[in-house]
Amino acid sequence: MEMKAVKSMAVLLLVSIISLVLLTSCRPGSGQSDSADRVIGSSSSVLRIISGSENAELEPILEKFAEQEGIEIQMSYQGSLDIMRLLEGEEIDYDAVWPASSIWLTMGDTKHRVQHTESVSISPVVFGIRKNLAEELGFVGREVSVGDLLAAIQSGKLRFCMTSATQSNSGASAYIGFLYALLGNPEVITSEDLQSEELKTQMRELLSGVDRSSGSSDWLKDMFLEGNYDAMVNYECLMIQANEELEQRGEEPLYVVYPYDGLSLADSPLGYVDQGDDKKEEMFLKLQEYLLSDEAQNEIQRTGRRSGYTGISEENRDVFRTDWGLQPDRVLSPIRMPAADVLQECLNMYQTDFKKPSLSVYCLDYSGSMEGEGNEQLVNAMEQLLIQENARQNYLQASEDEVNILIPFSGSVIDTYTAVGAGSEIENLYDTVRKQEVGGGTDMYKAAIQGLSMLKEYDLSQYTPAIILLTDGQSGGSFEDFTQAYEELGAKVPVFSIMFGDADETQLQQLADYTNARVFDGRENLTEAFRSVRGYN
Amino acid sequence: MKTKLAGLGILAIVIIAAAAYALFSGRQTVTEISGFVGGEKIGLLEDEEVQQIFEQKYHLTIDYARAGSIDMISADLTGRNFLFPSNQTALELYEQAHGEPVQSEIVLNTPIVLYTRKAVADALAAEGIAAITDDVYYVDMAKLTECIESDRSWADVGLPQLYGNVSVGTTDPTKSNSGNMFAGLLANTLCGGVADESTVDTILPRLQSIFQKLGYMESSSSDIFDQFLKTGMGAKPLIAGYESQLLEFAVENPDTWEQVKEDIVMLYPTPTVWSSHVYIALDETGTAGIDALLDEDVQRLAWEKHGFRTGLYDAPADVGHFGVTGIAEEITQVAPMPDALTMERIIEALS
Repeated sequence: MEMKAVKSMAVLLLVSIISLVLLTSCRPGSGQSDSADRVIGSSSSVLRIISGSENAELEPILEKFAEQEGIEIQMSYQGSLDIMRLLEGEEIDYDAVWPASSIWLTMGDTKHRVQHTESVSISPVVFGIRKNLAEELGFVGREVSVGDLLAAIQSGKLRFCMTSATQSNSGASAYIGFLYALLGNPEVITSEDLQSEELKTQMRELLSGVDRSSGSSDWLKDMFLEGNYDAMVNYECLMIQANEELEQRGEEPLYVVYPYDGLSLADSPLGYVDQGDDKKEEMFLKLQEYLLSDEAQNEIQRTGRRSGYTGISEENRDVFRTDWGLQPDRVLSPIRMPAADVLQECLNMYQTDFKKPSLSVYCLDYSGSMEGEGNEQLVNAMEQLLIQENARQNYLQASEDEVNILIPFSGSVIDTYTAVGAGSEIENLYDTVRKQEVGGGTDMYKAAIQGLSMLKEYDLSQYTPAIILLTDGQSGGSFEDFTQAYEELGAKVPVFSIMFGDADETQLQQLADYTNARVFDGRENLTEAFRSVRGYN
Repeated sequence: MKTKLAGLGILAIVIIAAAAYALFSGRQTVTEISGFVGGEKIGLLEDEEVQQIFEQKYHLTIDYARAGSIDMISADLTGRNFLFPSNQTALELYEQAHGEPVQSEIVLNTPIVLYTRKAVADALAAEGIAAITDDVYYVDMAKLTECIESDRSWADVGLPQLYGNVSVGTTDPTKSNSGNMFAGLLANTLCGGVADESTVDTILPRLQSIFQKLGYMESSSSDIFDQFLKTGMGAKPLIAGYESQLLEFAVENPDTWEQVKEDIVMLYPTPTVWSSHVYIALDETGTAGIDALLDEDVQRLAWEKHGFRTGLYDAPADVGHFGVTGIAEEITQVAPMPDALTMERIIEALS
C-alpha cells in the first residue's frame, strides 16, 4: 500500500516536471534554435522542418506527436518557392521539407536529396470574397470563371490580396490561373504566348487590383484579418480558418469561389532530406506515419484540409460550410501547370513586367553601434537586393517602374536618395549604402517620418508602398510623432522592420501592429530577412 | 533482498552472453551498397522481410537515392555501386555513355498500364476506346491516341465535371521511366508498329504536340501515382503507370484499398510494353545486389507483396491474394519498346 503511494507520487512528480518542461518550451521563440519560427516540444532529439506557413495551423497536431515521442520539432516557415530555391542550394539546414505543392519540391530537388515524400493533405487555391460583395457581384450559387473575376477586378468593384507569385505557391497558382484566362484558355501556356503586348497591359491592369501582398499564405491570412480588405486568394483551408475567426468576432464571413477554369491544388508534400543520419530518418518516418494515420488525417481534415482517399467524412462536413460557399463534394479539376522552363519564365515576367511596381523606403541604421560586423552584414544584405544579378537568383529583381528610396539615419536623418527602375540608379544606391559612415545615436521614428513625407509625392494606388526599417538598438524619439505623420498621410502603408543587434522588439512590434506589418528577425540571417520583406512588396 | 541480487546476477550474465553473441556473429560483416533507384521499387527495398534476407543470407544492406531512370544515367555516380532503373533503354544509354557495366541483369518485370476512376473508364468504354473482357479493362491505344490528338474535351466524352481535354498524365519522358515508356508506346501506336529509326522522324511532331500539351510533368512514377490516389478524379483523371504500383498499394494498405477499390480502375493498353527493371552493377561490390534480388524468396515477395512479375513474364498462378479485380492473368498483347537509338531521338525531341 505504502509502496504504491510512493510510486504514484513519483509518477505524479514526473508528469508534472514533464508538463512543466513542455509548457515552458511551447512558447514561441524559446528552445535552442534561434532561427526556427516555432519550437514544438523540448528534447535533444530534434527534427528541423522548413515548411509553408499554412502548416502553422497544424502545430497542435504536431505538438501531440512531439509529446508522445519526446522529441522536439523546429518549424521554420517560408513561401514554397523560397523553399524550392533553398533546395537548389548546396547546404540544406533542415531535416525535412514541407512546401505547399510538390511542383516546387520536384523543381528544387535537382540533387535528389529528398526522400520518402508523401502528400499529407489537399487544398485548392480559391477566391474568398466578402459575402455581401460576392452576392452583389453575382458570384453566389453559380459557376464562376476567372474571366468573371477579372471583369469585376477591371471594373474596380473587386480588390484583393494575394501572396507574391514568386515566393509563395498560392500566389503563383492564382497568377498562372490569371495567365490562362487572359490568354483565352489555351490547353497549356507556351513561351510564345507570353510575348504578347496585350497580355502585358491586361495583366498589369489586373494586378493593379492587388491591395496587399505577402511572402507566404498564412501570413496573408493573418494580415487580411488585421486589415479591412474585400477579398483574398488563398487556400480553401485558410478561408475556413479566417471565417471561423470572422464569425467569432461577429463580422461578415468570406464567400468561397472556385474558378472552374483556373483552379489549382496544393498537395502538401512532406519529404525527408537525407543527410545520412539514420536516427533522424527513423524519427521522420514515424512523424510521417503519424500524420498519415487515420486519427491525424481526421484531425487534419477538421482544419479544413481535404485528407485521406475517400473525400470529406460525414462527421467533418460541418467544417466545410456550404453557406460560406464551400463545396465539399466538388470534383476539383485543376488547370495544367506549364512546363518547368515556361513556368520560370512566367515567374520572371511577374517580377519584372506584370506586378504592381513596388515603392520601397529603406530606412537603415548607421548609428555608432552598427560599426564593424553589423555594418558589414547590412552592406552584404543590400548587395543581394540592389545588385540585380544577385536579386534575379531569388526572383527579387527590380521592375522598370519601381522606386527605391534610401534613408540612412542615426540620431537624425543623414540624407535621402531615390532610385527609379532596374538600371544604374538602383545599383548606385548600393554604392551609397557601402560608403555611408557610421556614428551617433538612434532615432528610427525620424527616419520613418521622413519616409512618410516622401511617399506623399507619389500616387500610391499605382504602387505597392512599404517602409522597411532596419535598426539595431533602442530608439529615441517618439512613437506619437510617427502616428501623427502616419494619419496625415492617410494611406495604409505597412512599416516592416528588421530586428538586428540589440533592437527593442516592443518598439518595432508597436510600429508593425499599428501599420499591419511584421517584424522580421535579422539576427540570424540578415539577407534572408531582407528577402522575406521583399515578398511583401 | 537475496533473490533480488540473484536476479541482477542473472541479468548481468544474460547481458554479457548477448554482447558476446553479437560480437561473434557480427564477424561476418554486412556490406552496404549504394545506388540510384526508380521510385516505384522503393516499397520493395524498404520491405523488412526483403531486407532481412539481404542482410542474413547475403550480408548486404542497400542505401539508395531516388532518381528517374533516364536522369540517373547522367547523374553524378561517384560513390555509387549500382543503378536500378526501370527499363533496358537506360542500360543501353548507360553503355553508350560509360561502356559495358561490370554486370547487369533484368530482375523484375511489370507492364505499363493506365489508371483511372470508374466514371472515366465507363465513359471511355461508352466511346469504344476501352472494353472489358473477363473483368479486365483493355484500352485501344490507337483509338485513345486519336481521341487525344483530335483535342476532344472531357465534356465531349460525357464528363463535364472535368476541366480541359482528354489526356494521359505521365511523368516527364526525358527524366523518368513510366513517362519514357509511355512515349515509346505512343510512338509505336503512331507508327502503326514498333517505331524504329526509319519511321520515327515522321511522327515526332505529333508526339511532341501530345506531350507539350501536358505542361508540367512529374519526375517520379511514385509521386504521380500517389497524387492520382489522393487528389481525386479531377486532378488526375487518367495516368500512365506500372501494374505493380496498384498491386503493391492494395497489399500494403488493405483497409484503404477496401474503401477505394470500387472507384479505381486499371486499364491494360493493347498493345502494351514491358517495363523490365534492370539492375546495373557499377563495380564489383555492386554485383552482390544481383544475387540477392534474384533470390527465390525475394522474387516471391516481389510478386506477392509488391506486384512485380518475375522470372517469366507471366503472373504466377495466384492473383487472388491482392484483392484486386481486373488483373490480367497473362499479358499477351505486348509490343517491344523501340530500340535505344530510336528512344534517344524521342527523348531529344521531347526535351
